[in-house]
Amino acid sequence: MEIEDLGHHISRRFNEDLEHVRSSVLAMGGLVEEQFDRAIQALAEANSELGLRVAEDDVKVNRMEVSIDEECSRILATRGPTASDLRLVVAVIKTITDLERIGDEAEKIGVLAARLASVERPSTNYRELRNLARHVKQMVRGALNAFARLDAAAALEVFKADDTVDEEYESIYRQGITFMMEDAGAISRIMDTTWVARSLERIGDHAKNIAEYVIFMVHGKDLRYTGLENIEAEVQQASRRREVHP
Amino acid sequence: MPRRWISQFIVLGIWLAAAALIGLAFGAVAAWLAGALGLYLIYSLRNLYLLDQVLEGGKRVPVFETRGLWAETFARVARLKAKTRNRKKKYNRLLREVRESTGALSDGGIILNSAHEIIWFNPAATRLLGLDPARDIGNRIDNLLRHPDFVRYVAAPTGEPVVVPSPEDEGDWLAVQLIPYGQKQHLAIVRDVTRERRLETARRDFVANASHELRSPLTVIAGYLDSLAEDEGLPASWTRPIAEMQRQAERMTQILRDLIELTRLDAAERRAPQRFVDVPAMLGLIVEEFRRRSAQPRLGLHLDTEAGLLGSESELHSVFHNLISNAMRFTPPTGTIEVHWRPENGGTVFDVIDTGIGIPEEQIPRITERFYRVDPGRSRASGGTGLGLAIVKHALQRHAATLEISSREGEGSRFSCHFPAARVAARANPAKAAG
Repeated sequence: MEIEDLGHHISRRFNEDLEHVRSSVLAMGGLVEEQFDRAIQALAEANSELGLRVAEDDVKVNRMEVSIDEECSRILATRGPTASDLRLVVAVIKTITDLERIGDEAEKIGVLAARLASVERPSTNYRELRNLARHVKQMVRGALNAFARLDAAAALEVFKADDTVDEEYESIYRQGITFMMEDAGAISRIMDTTWVARSLERIGDHAKNIAEYVIFMVHGKDLRYTGLENIEAEVQQASRRREVHP
Repeated sequence: MPRRWISQFIVLGIWLAAAALIGLAFGAVAAWLAGALGLYLIYSLRNLYLLDQVLEGGKRVPVFETRGLWAETFARVARLKAKTRNRKKKYNRLLREVRESTGALSDGGIILNSAHEIIWFNPAATRLLGLDPARDIGNRIDNLLRHPDFVRYVAAPTGEPVVVPSPEDEGDWLAVQLIPYGQKQHLAIVRDVTRERRLETARRDFVANASHELRSPLTVIAGYLDSLAEDEGLPASWTRPIAEMQRQAERMTQILRDLIELTRLDAAERRAPQRFVDVPAMLGLIVEEFRRRSAQPRLGLHLDTEAGLLGSESELHSVFHNLISNAMRFTPPTGTIEVHWRPENGGTVFDVIDTGIGIPEEQIPRITERFYRVDPGRSRASGGTGLGLAIVKHALQRHAATLEISSREGEGSRFSCHFPAARVAARANPAKAAG
């Protein structure tokens, strides 16, 4: 499926509906990206007010999920889409769920950042967390860009990046345990930073899910749970096929 | 009728006449005429075929006649094609120059159609926004630049650019402006404003730091002045100077407090939080406080609605307090001040109407500037920091409200704050306040 394919409908209104729902999802993605950025900023700058604001603003994310869900139900009921259009609507419904969960994780990070703002910071100022956050941010952005461009190859990159994120989380977790054993007074703070790392890891998983939906949308194959090698092979095969038969 | 047609008919006439004459000699006029016409038809069809070939594939025209209808037609077609070819070359050259020059621009330029889909963009846009020249033509720009502020801006572009964080480079900022032209198309201009923002931040930090640093020495001085004032052994000649020093120290403290408040408002996000504020109750308390301080000028409160606002309690308190305080300061004891809280067009309005000394018309646009004084001598004597209206303006902006000022010198002034419907809330409803 290519960007141009979206335009081939007898009914122009149908075309507009699909374009509108696509844009709505990406607007929701933008809101979630901003929530994520602000939560990490609150953590890095010890800004408790910003952290609480992020938590307050999560209602906006939830509201968007509800409204896009309604839009999709309406399209399914009144237009009866088929083939690639149906894949698009299904992918949208799944994507907004993952986006809403990312929003929830960002809310948790905001609250934790507000808590951590009032305690003493380590000399590194949470450098490992900020690094992990940078990688996760790239994953989320990559997944949404892949969605916008219907780019299966880019989605595959996001998919692969999740392993690195998982490893980073593991290392932060183990490091935290070591610190807790050395310094019992810092246990509360380290617990909180571990929760932040956990939320970041979960956001990475949700970004990976969205990447899977993009591949599903583009290639019409449900490749979830089939393993990385299989997905890679399928995507490369499909793009080779496309080169031969453009 | 053009000459070429006349000559064609003449030739046809001669051809048919000759055929008729020969036919007459052979006793078969009709047959010879039919034959002549048939030959003419074949001749015309052949020329039509050649013309068709020329228009189709640009075959060169065999010039077999220098005059006549067909010759001239072929010549005109050849000229037309040459003209088209030249025009195409000219446009290609122009296009190439435009592309090269926009390629040299450091600002990003993006052409959008009426549906905000990308038609074209220059290399700087690729760099600043991470656009992909191979894939992004035809995609909506707010699908790729997804920041909520930009999405809102695209839906309703104002004349001003919108500033958003750079999607490509962490910590950088971009100013994007949508300029309409033609048939609902837009030109998007993207500028890197990281440096300007850093300067702004540095300036704000400087003001904030300086204000904080000045507070402690000032507190020490004020403290000693207080103990001196209470010291009974103090010579009488020092009483008044000490009191004056205390007043000035208090003024400096107030100025610093206002500066810090203003800096905080400057640096804060552009929208205030949405917490319910009971405005009628707050106004009641403020008016009470001022009445207690002094019975004159007379202060009247008119609450035409029970509605409150969604915003920041402390900022709204600053707004109401500052405006009433100004009115009290610049109205003579014999004057009156009326405070209104009333509904209007779905929103609400806060009015302070006084019968004070008024503001000269040409100075009204400037009075919300920091430290601006209408008449330096007069207002410094009556107190005030010069920052009150700047704080009011910033706080109102954060609540999406507007400030309206009208005044006549010697008669009085009217300050009105118009709050939009989106910020108005009925009696505290927890679900509503949270949602």
